[in-house]
Amino acid sequence: MKAVAGALAACVGVFAAFLLQQALPAIHVLHGARFVFVPMIFCYAAMALPFPGMLLAAFCTGLLSDLMYLNVAEGRVEIAVGCSIVFFVIYGCIANGFRLSFLRGHWWPVVPLSVICTSSFLLMQFAMISLRRDGFVYEQAILWRIFAPGLLAGLFAPLLHAVVSPFASLIPENPWSTREY
Amino acid sequence: MKKLNIALLLAVVALAVYLSVLSPGAMQSMQAGFLSFLAPFLRTGTAVQEQIGSMGKGLKTLDEVEADNRKLTEVNRVLLTTNNLLREIENENNRLRLALEYRERSVFRLMAARVIARDASTWWNTVKINRGFEDGVETDQPVLTDVGLVGKTTTVSKNESIVVLVTDETCRVAAKVEGTREQGILSGMRVQDSGSGGELQLNFLTKNAALEPGQKVYTAGISNGVFPSGILIGKVKEFRTRPLDGQAIVEPAVDISQTEDVFVVVGAK
Repeated sequence: MKAVAGALAACVGVFAAFLLQQALPAIHVLHGARFVFVPMIFCYAAMALPFPGMLLAAFCTGLLSDLMYLNVAEGRVEIAVGCSIVFFVIYGCIANGFRLSFLRGHWWPVVPLSVICTSSFLLMQFAMISLRRDGFVYEQAILWRIFAPGLLAGLFAPLLHAVVSPFASLIPENPWSTREY
Repeated sequence: MKKLNIALLLAVVALAVYLSVLSPGAMQSMQAGFLSFLAPFLRTGTAVQEQIGSMGKGLKTLDEVEADNRKLTEVNRVLLTTNNLLREIENENNRLRLALEYRERSVFRLMAARVIARDASTWWNTVKINRGFEDGVETDQPVLTDVGLVGKTTTVSKNESIVVLVTDETCRVAAKVEGTREQGILSGMRVQDSGSGGELQLNFLTKNAALEPGQKVYTAGISNGVFPSGILIGKVKEFRTRPLDGQAIVEPAVDISQTEDVFVVVGAK
């Protein structure tokens, strides 16, 4: 029950993050980098939820992400539906390893995890479209667009914890409970 | 790790692999369904943005006048766009008359559409418009404004469509340069400068093309292609000679970041 409730809350959060991202413009001073909140929210959920809940959250996040960014060029799909699911499952397994520490009140690993997850997600997208297109290109703006959203996610992660943690007690069988350990 | 967790992990990965081997059409159908689900949220967001943006205007003008103005502006844009297409047809007709040849040329039916969401991704240049297959929109239909080419439709859902912009690297257009016989393939850049309307690259020109800045670039309209001939794409900004060919950097005619109303070419009249 707690896994399902927590995972559903995470999925709603991820969906809301997609809508928020849609509304926010690119940041010109950061070479067109964007706010990317979805991996940060997923990281937080992956640390807070039990393993089955994390898997459900990873599936929803990956599926929404793939459907949001699906691009068919000349009859070929650039990033197939399912690729992001695998990415978030792998990353979720890593983040879930910090769960015990998280349940003991050490929430700070969400900051480096959010930075790495956000940037590596963008890097994965860039690598996949580069392989599909005419090869890799290098521009300074590309580095900004990969790493700046990660750093921004790291800045926003403590804020996310401050906003979400008071609501933890509203979920039946609080996922922040350490009973199962 | 518990056996149940391992089983769940394998099930999720297997499902992901199954989804990844679906055909592009099936994936686009899924995306169309998702777009239909997402559309009310996008429309609400756009409506809220418009309400906030028009607060000041509402105090100065009557709502009816504003609605009339919008309608007339839309009609005016349709007429301007049609006129531009007809002018190109007239030019071509004159050329063909001189050459004592004749080629049938269609006149296009335009459908007005509104941009409901701009691209929010790092690597793709797309917008979403409020017309779908119920309105007669299909995949791979050109989208333009009275100023010039915007892009083409990709995924089409019931009442919404995704338009891949001409500034995207994957949107390739056969193009010709005004006043020359130069033709090439035009596409966007992988990373566009966010502060400007973007840049396009026109490749496969002859090395000695020597194009001048300001020369206009139009769609070439190859047979069975997506884009009809004669739609303005932009102006030449710079010409570069490369080892095997020439490349022109083109400034797009349409600044999509400022555009709210577009037209989909839904067929011939």
